[in-house]
Amino acid sequence: MTPTIMQEDHRANQPKAATAGLPQGYTAPTGGRPDFLAVKEFNFFYGKKQALYDITMDIPEKQVTAFIGPSGCGKSTLLRNFNRMNELIDGIRHQGEITLLGRSIFDPKIEVIALRRSIGMVFQKSNPFPKSIYENIVYSLRIAGQNSKSILDETVERSLRGAALWDEVKDRLHDSALSLSGGQMQRLCIARAIANRPKVLLMDEPCSALDPIATAKVEDLIHELKREFTIVIVTHNMQQATRCSDRTAFFYLGKLIEFDVTQKIFSNPSEKQTEDYITGRFG
Amino acid sequence: MPTHILSTFEDALNSLRNDALMMSSLTERNLANARKGLFERDEDWCNTVIADDEEIDTLEVQVDREGINVMLRFHPMASDMRNVIATMKLSVNLERVADQAVNIARRGRKLITRPEAPEVAQLHPIFQCAEGMVKDAVRAFADRDVALSRALMERDRELDEMNRNYAERMTDLMSKNVESIPTYMDLIFISRFLERIGDQAKNIGEDTVYAISAEEIRHTNRAAM
Repeated sequence: MTPTIMQEDHRANQPKAATAGLPQGYTAPTGGRPDFLAVKEFNFFYGKKQALYDITMDIPEKQVTAFIGPSGCGKSTLLRNFNRMNELIDGIRHQGEITLLGRSIFDPKIEVIALRRSIGMVFQKSNPFPKSIYENIVYSLRIAGQNSKSILDETVERSLRGAALWDEVKDRLHDSALSLSGGQMQRLCIARAIANRPKVLLMDEPCSALDPIATAKVEDLIHELKREFTIVIVTHNMQQATRCSDRTAFFYLGKLIEFDVTQKIFSNPSEKQTEDYITGRFG
Repeated sequence: MPTHILSTFEDALNSLRNDALMMSSLTERNLANARKGLFERDEDWCNTVIADDEEIDTLEVQVDREGINVMLRFHPMASDMRNVIATMKLSVNLERVADQAVNIARRGRKLITRPEAPEVAQLHPIFQCAEGMVKDAVRAFADRDVALSRALMERDRELDEMNRNYAERMTDLMSKNVESIPTYMDLIFISRFLERIGDQAKNIGEDTVYAISAEEIRHTNRAAM
């Protein structure tokens, strides 16, 4: 049987707690594996063009990590590497390593589909399938051969509750997903992503197309979801990064400039480039 | 440091800073006028201090309003955020210094109605120390001078000691010269007001260090004791 990352007992050789090395006077959530998702000396190329340079970072378990930086800095590229979405593009190559629970995500024994089940993704623009709300949630389960109505029903309710959408749609589960509002569609996509009980949830600017109320609902949801999932969010909205994330990474020109506790990054960053960017002095 | 891409943000920060510096110079002037009123036994100077306090109160409100406006409109981050917070706290501390100057002027006015006491002149070094601390606190804020800000901690301890000694001397004199108790009481109060001014200057220094280096130095002495 092909080993899947989801079957790993990731607590077996748990290293030091995720709070180690915190700057004095700053707080972040305690517990969890600090190198849950680890990037080591990672370089990434689109053909001849290098998009990421020597990235090394440990993303801690059950925390929200925000990626910030100007357009083209490589934050989405790194995000898409976490579930090997970039492999859909021709001419890409990488050097270095990304591990989930200590196991390389590039391990040839790991099926990409299994990896993507472990590392779900939500995109900038909500992209529900042109099917019913119910079928959107159970789509991947059906593809995997799951047809038990009780399991599918349970998954739909659990996922929609998890995405704070259940109360709004429970009476019209078989209506088209396209009849939902923009904010509801995005939460449906989150529900679809968590239907597989992933370990990591990647969010690429999930609120950039939403109004402030829908944004607040998604942000509130992120806060709830981190109890169960490790979340990595790419955002251009620095207030959102401040509100939602426990740790923030600043990227510039394909390099990881600074990665620290969010409170530290936004109140007293160590690097001048970070300071210039977050204070709006970047030219 | 490069300027902000958003010029309106830069303008708003400059305006906030300029108002705070204007408030600083008015506060320093009021304290100097209180000194003249007290030592020169000049009621006009005392009255000027009391009258001018209103202008400083108005500026405090203005600085607060501008600070809130900057936070609301531009969501300052990192050093900008620390500067806005420190500037708003500076204005609170300056307003308190100005209030103490008014208190001194009021006591000064009372002292003028009584025979001149030689103990008033003994307040000179205390006044000089407190006034110097305010000047340097403002200068350190304006020049972003961490060393000068830090030095205020030690100077505040010296001022506390001077105030304690002076109060003890006046208390001793009370038993020897009962008729002058009201004068000694006023002098003890003035010394106490000056000691409080030193505290406020020290606060400004602490906030300046935070604004520049994000270092929290408040109450660090107590922890070391």
